[in-house]
Amino acid sequence: MSAAVKNIGVRRVFSLLMLVLAWEAMSRAGVINPFYAPAPTEVLRVVYSLFSEGTIFSHLEATFFASLVGLAIGLALGILLGFSAALIPWVADVLEPIMLLLNAIPRVILAPLFVIWLGIEIPSKIALAVVLVAVLIFFAVYNGIKDVNQLFVDRVKTLGGGRLVLLREVYIPSVTAWVLGSLKVAVGFAFTGACVGEFVAATRGLGYLLQFAQSTYNAALTMGLIFLIMAFVLILFFCAEAIERRLLRWRYRAPAEKSA
Amino acid sequence: MLRVRDLAVGYGQEPVVEGINLEVAAGKFVSLVGPSGSGKTSVLRAVNGLLAPLTGRVELNGSSDSLGFLFQDDALLPWRTARENVALGLRIRKVAKDAALSEADAWLGRLGLAGFGGRFPHELSGGQRKRVAIAQILALKPKLLLMDEPFASLDAIVRMRITQELLNWVEREHLSVLLVTHDLEEALTVSDTVYLLSQGPRARVLNSYNVTIPRPRDIFASRKHADFPALLEQLWNDMSAAMTSPEHEARG
Repeated sequence: MSAAVKNIGVRRVFSLLMLVLAWEAMSRAGVINPFYAPAPTEVLRVVYSLFSEGTIFSHLEATFFASLVGLAIGLALGILLGFSAALIPWVADVLEPIMLLLNAIPRVILAPLFVIWLGIEIPSKIALAVVLVAVLIFFAVYNGIKDVNQLFVDRVKTLGGGRLVLLREVYIPSVTAWVLGSLKVAVGFAFTGACVGEFVAATRGLGYLLQFAQSTYNAALTMGLIFLIMAFVLILFFCAEAIERRLLRWRYRAPAEKSA
Repeated sequence: MLRVRDLAVGYGQEPVVEGINLEVAAGKFVSLVGPSGSGKTSVLRAVNGLLAPLTGRVELNGSSDSLGFLFQDDALLPWRTARENVALGLRIRKVAKDAALSEADAWLGRLGLAGFGGRFPHELSGGQRKRVAIAQILALKPKLLLMDEPFASLDAIVRMRITQELLNWVEREHLSVLLVTHDLEEALTVSDTVYLLSQGPRARVLNSYNVTIPRPRDIFASRKHADFPALLEQLWNDMSAAMTSPEHEARG
């Protein structure tokens, strides 16, 4: 890690620490009303009690399960539909307008419909996560194939490669790069789908807990849950980045010393 | 080795080139020169089957496996290492993976890239990438090399070195070559015959020039050969005339 990057990191952590300390001090001095913005230590205490009393775990399980299953199904569906649309013109004719429409609207408005169709348990949350992720991945794959570098296609053709070789050597690696580039966003979308679904109607999950906190005007719990969700999404985000760097090592590996 | 008869090539129905006749005999080095937009690359793409001719024929003595195409860009797959890129053509021709990779290593060694096989294209310099691209083609043991301004993107020193190395290889292996270039000096230095195309669209072969500088050639010594200045002057004058002809002016 370079000195410049380290310096930026130190500055960011220091700024954040100063903000939290200022918030804590103003809260204790009564400058900020704790009803609206409880002190960071109070938020921390609430989060700690969620874990120490064990109440959070069934909610975490529900949200993570819905998010990760939704992410997996959304990725698979998006890839399948994207490939089909890119390679079969009539599929593109049918799918493109639907996907454009789904992409244009805030897809979370489908949450109530999924609750009606699939009930208030986990399947309706998975469905929302799937729709959010699948549309994103569909366009990544569809555009990835359409924008594939023609030079690579010509290269493989002039080496004698047919359709299968082109698929294996050019299209799939090109699309993998596009999909992995969207993976971090997809993780966020999957979590959004699960939480919003739980927010609308559920019996457990972080979104459900958040809705409960808001309805009881419990600002400490609300903030604690928001920070908790942010922390979990960040962890998943870094996991996605690690996967991206592993699979796209041809892009990220540091250039070695070159000579003519 | 290769005979092109009355070839017309274009995108849509409008020909970029038409009435192209040229020949590359076995073991001969032929260049195609002409102004920008004269359709040199289109001719090469038609010869290689990447572009369907509007009219005319491309007659190749041998199968399409005997062709090797060196692009202007190195066109290496960025997600494959240098050795995997070199082995790609061999793998497509059903050579077993281990054999293809060791053959690739051998070719990289011959081209001065021993130890670089594990690197990805972005980890190599422009000259190294070009050498990998050459290894990829030569590993397939082509009889006819088609080259589309292959060294245009390289700096002058690297370009000279790689051109000489490739020329040595071509002469030693008696390969036939059809080179597209806009560099008249380069064309005369390496070729037995140079074809000059007129300005496009509807470009035609204006003239051909036999270069009798003896082989094996050194690209620096060839420029000092007695015939070189006169040939260069004639080629330059003909191309300048083609670019300033009333026909060209009218086309804008």
